[in-house]
Amino acid sequence: MPEFEDELVRRVAAELKRPAALDPALDARIMAEVRAHARRPRLWLLRPHTFRVTPLGILARAAALAAIVAGATLAVSRLRPGEAVVSTASAPEALTASAVPFVLYAPRARSVALVGDFNNWDTRATPLRRTGASGAWVVTVPLPPGRYRYAFLIDGTRWLADPGAPRAPDDDFGTPNSVLTVGT
Amino acid sequence: MNPITRLSAPALALAAVLAGTAAAQDSRLDRLAPEARALVPPIIDSARAAGLPTEPLVNRALEGASKGAPAPIIAAAVRRLAGDLGRAREALGPDAGAADLAAAADALRAGASTAALRRVRDALGPRRLAVPLGVTADLTARGVPADSAATLVIGLARSAADAQLLALQREVERDIALGASPLAAASGRFAAADVESPTSVSGPSTTPSPPVRRKP
Repeated sequence: MPEFEDELVRRVAAELKRPAALDPALDARIMAEVRAHARRPRLWLLRPHTFRVTPLGILARAAALAAIVAGATLAVSRLRPGEAVVSTASAPEALTASAVPFVLYAPRARSVALVGDFNNWDTRATPLRRTGASGAWVVTVPLPPGRYRYAFLIDGTRWLADPGAPRAPDDDFGTPNSVLTVGT
Repeated sequence: MNPITRLSAPALALAAVLAGTAAAQDSRLDRLAPEARALVPPIIDSARAAGLPTEPLVNRALEGASKGAPAPIIAAAVRRLAGDLGRAREALGPDAGAADLAAAADALRAGASTAALRRVRDALGPRRLAVPLGVTADLTARGVPADSAATLVIGLARSAADAQLLALQREVERDIALGASPLAAASGRFAAADVESPTSVSGPSTTPSPPVRRKP
């Protein structure tokens, strides 16, 4: 190796071995930057937390959960059947309601109501309307497939089975009912 | 056992009890008079525990309330219906649906035997039984002998849609209203549907009728 190259290597090595002179404020600047990062807020949900619970606390939380479940179940059970039977085509067993006309000829009646399984036997839920002077009272009710017991209530006092429908096989309460079967 | 585990078990049991109690309540029964409210829900709870449908029972109680029946009468009617539903399930099997059971209970009340119900079930297989059983009930209630009604329904239901079955029932009803005897009306309509005459099977037959022969 030529002498000038030895000299070059020696100078470079000496330069590399010389201690680097650092800015005395460098440490302070780096630490300040680190602290600034550490102070950035993180979402509470993303930070790890430690919870301490007592057995009694677990019991209380379980009871609260039970109350919520019970409340939700009660709310569902309070649905009227008329609301519950509303179905959609996406349901596993879609029930399509049919518009079923009910007609009663009662020329001297002042009011006629349709009362049955489909309206919780509510005497005010499904009034019939008089059509003209013929004495015919009519109402059309959407009903899903099923078997329904019903009767007409005349003037709020007199129960009458539908003369045009099969009679229910029982009259547990002393007044006859009719049966309607709505097919699929 | 870990103390926490020991305490969680009763908590879960408490949750189950609360949820079950809530599910057992039906606000529609609030309409009942206080005495009936004390008598009827336990019957419905028992039926529910036995796996029977409760909607018909609730409806029966509501019917009694709307008609102003005394509480013991309402309770007796609900209890009787629960018994009919139980017999219906014995006849149709544990997999029978609520609508099927309700129709079968009507058929039993009309005078059909559990054997007739089983015959309908066995003949029609897994198809929906509610309409065939309902028609059986209605024909029987109109005076058609139960076995004849069952045979008529079986014969038609194998090949006919529910709508056709209901149409036939209406025709039989109309014939009866016009003065025909129930069996004669059923026989006539049965023949018109080109199926085997019910008069030949009006006895206590226990064998299913042959398939319906229908014109193309």
